[in-house]
Amino acid sequence: MVNILLLFLILLLLPLELKAQAPPSPYLQELLQQAITGKLHQDRYWHLLLHYRQNPFGGHTSEVDDPGFFLAPDGKTNPEAELQATLTYFFSNTLVGRSKQPAQCAFIARYHWLKEKLQFEDSKLFPHPCERFVSWLKELNPASITFIFPSAYMDNPASMFGHSFLRVDQKGQTSETNILAYTINYAAEVPPNAGIEFAYKGIFGGYKGFFSTIPYYMKVKEYRDLENRDIWEYRLNFSEKQYHRLLMHAWELGNAYFDYYFFKENCAYHILSLLEVADPKLHLTDQFHFATIPADTIRLLARHKGLVQKISYRPARSTLLKRKRETLTKKEASLVQKLIHDPQKINQFEFLQLPQNRKTFLLDFASDVLRYKGITDQDKTEDYRAKNRSILVARSQIPIPSSPFPVKPFSLSPEHGHQTFRVGGGFGWRNNEIFEEVNFRGAYHDLLDPDPGYTQDAQIALLDLRLRHYQHQNLFRVERFTFANILSLAPIDSLFASPSWKINIGMDTVKTSTCDLCSNGNANGGIGGALETQVFQREVFFLFGEMDANISGGYKKNHRVGGGVSGGVMATITPNWKWLMSAGYLYYPIGDRSHDTPLSVGQRLTIAKNFAVRATFTHHEHDNEFLAVFHGYF
Amino acid sequence: MAKKPWALVSTFFLVMGMSGMALGNPPNNGPGCGLGKLAWGDSSQKESIGGQVMMATTNGTFGSQTFGISSGTSGCTNDGKIFASEKVNVFAAINFDNLAQEMAQGEGEHLTSLATLMGIPVVQQPAFFAMTQEKYTTLVQSGESSPKAVVAAIHDAMVDHPVLAQATTSK
Repeated sequence: MVNILLLFLILLLLPLELKAQAPPSPYLQELLQQAITGKLHQDRYWHLLLHYRQNPFGGHTSEVDDPGFFLAPDGKTNPEAELQATLTYFFSNTLVGRSKQPAQCAFIARYHWLKEKLQFEDSKLFPHPCERFVSWLKELNPASITFIFPSAYMDNPASMFGHSFLRVDQKGQTSETNILAYTINYAAEVPPNAGIEFAYKGIFGGYKGFFSTIPYYMKVKEYRDLENRDIWEYRLNFSEKQYHRLLMHAWELGNAYFDYYFFKENCAYHILSLLEVADPKLHLTDQFHFATIPADTIRLLARHKGLVQKISYRPARSTLLKRKRETLTKKEASLVQKLIHDPQKINQFEFLQLPQNRKTFLLDFASDVLRYKGITDQDKTEDYRAKNRSILVARSQIPIPSSPFPVKPFSLSPEHGHQTFRVGGGFGWRNNEIFEEVNFRGAYHDLLDPDPGYTQDAQIALLDLRLRHYQHQNLFRVERFTFANILSLAPIDSLFASPSWKINIGMDTVKTSTCDLCSNGNANGGIGGALETQVFQREVFFLFGEMDANISGGYKKNHRVGGGVSGGVMATITPNWKWLMSAGYLYYPIGDRSHDTPLSVGQRLTIAKNFAVRATFTHHEHDNEFLAVFHGYF
Repeated sequence: MAKKPWALVSTFFLVMGMSGMALGNPPNNGPGCGLGKLAWGDSSQKESIGGQVMMATTNGTFGSQTFGISSGTSGCTNDGKIFASEKVNVFAAINFDNLAQEMAQGEGEHLTSLATLMGIPVVQQPAFFAMTQEKYTTLVQSGESSPKAVVAAIHDAMVDHPVLAQATTSK
């Protein structure tokens, strides 16, 4: 035991011995002493700058994984040694970190914080001019910070929960020129040709994440033009001192990488950590323990009074198209269709007789459509580009500027959304037996959850656990556990033609000819199409072809595999009242040869932003169930 | 608050990628030397350059090297800043489609931003927009050859313009 203790002490002393080679200046000794007396290494701000987290059993570890970010050899786990090493290096011009700068510049936020805390005397600790930082800051030309949220994108698993980053608004910037601003973006560095290991590595920290300053116009092009995602912009109410601190720390992070974890230490998490450096009174990252969902971070920011100063909306091109189309008369709509197919139709009387402002509106709309199609239908990109050129030539010959077209989003901004963790309690009746149920869902949103703040027609339900007590048999059981139930409905019309799709993996409880309540492993996937109507408020009809596989002791040969069709309608009657109905026919030729005619009718009533009730009736062969449940979102 | 025990387990079962991550092939001629150092304007393959940049930007590799903050001094970096001399060309190359559309329409945020980058005072910008609309066909034809050419063509058109000529000489 004594030996181990001795070894430990020697290890602790090692770095100090190395330093002892050059005699430390008396002023450094003085500062080190002050830092120890003031217990600066225990200060929250020091921990924020170094990204220290308390370990479960004492001590601290930094989330930064780049050794170059630390000046003490054990800096990742020793806040005190790191602080002492930092002070020591401030007296030296040695180039440190990946950015190869003197310590005062490479770790400029540390320098300014310690300078303030310890009242550095410039004559005794000469301040480095840090030309690179100064020139970088001049280029950013900062005036404020805006939090940016491109909404969820169902066609890329990596983007299903949305993304978040910061925009460094420039002095003198207007809403027409803010695309010129730089952003502060955190992303994983994924090597080219990453295959199946992409998902695994991305989730378990196999990739390194870096900060970068990509110009906002590139991000806008990526999200709005190429991926058709709405973008929400939240201008934050930071003082000059606060955003200056944030930028100094961002500069420091040029020396750092973090192991990237999709669910917790992701873009949203690290962006929050920057905001905490700007204003250490904000406690943001410690609100997230297992997963940091970008939309949840917005709701957290919105709850801090006065933090969000202004919210702006930047519609996706697909949203712009839908809104513009709503304003067309029937005649205009069919005229646009003709123009899209053959731009020469502009020379026909039907078009020529229109007033100037309608001509320009139709030409602009046609150009938007052609650009949208050129990106989404890549086989015919060149054809669409050529047509767009003809349309634009015609447009340029009408010498008036287009009028601004304000676009209303289809879903409210994300801070209006419910929280993503759901708890429910209810009761029901299944095949002449009464039961009580409690349920918990890890994330995120299903079609019957309250709609505001979420991407329309998109469902991502993860880790949904339902526990039941059947009264008559006095039986407790895990009724259902859904790993993932993801569904995307994409209404098809003359402009948009994406498939709808769904996938479900989990276990549920089935009734079969041999067994009343049998656990069943289920995998289901389907692809199909959807159509939208607006009879009540909004209805989406859908039809899927699907495959279905089950493993259960209740089936002959313990399994049944097959496929079939299902279809239904999702109907919003009032903003708070929504129905979801579906019916199908499935035939199982493999295993237990059988068929099923599933039927489900559900409705939800929203009580408040985070509370709702729903009632569902479900039917399978020999199996009927009614369930009423109250949901709270936390 | 946001305690999500179930979300932990989900890591095991989700075969998905991640937010803030994207796949893509690296550009053939990069990355790593800072945007301004790429052979921007002179390439005749405007589209492929614009495409490469977009592809590369969505790929973290390019983002963290070209736009990495304080990213080393290998002689091939500019701390994530776009070289001042290339700002207009880079902007025009990446936003060529948006610029073409807005020139024809006589207004728009990309066109306004281009005018700002070119140092055209706000009061002269309406004249600039009208000029690009009027000369749309010529300007975009040059743009078809290379993004640098469209910038040069705009510049030439300004020199001939009674109002805008001032903005070019004052630069």
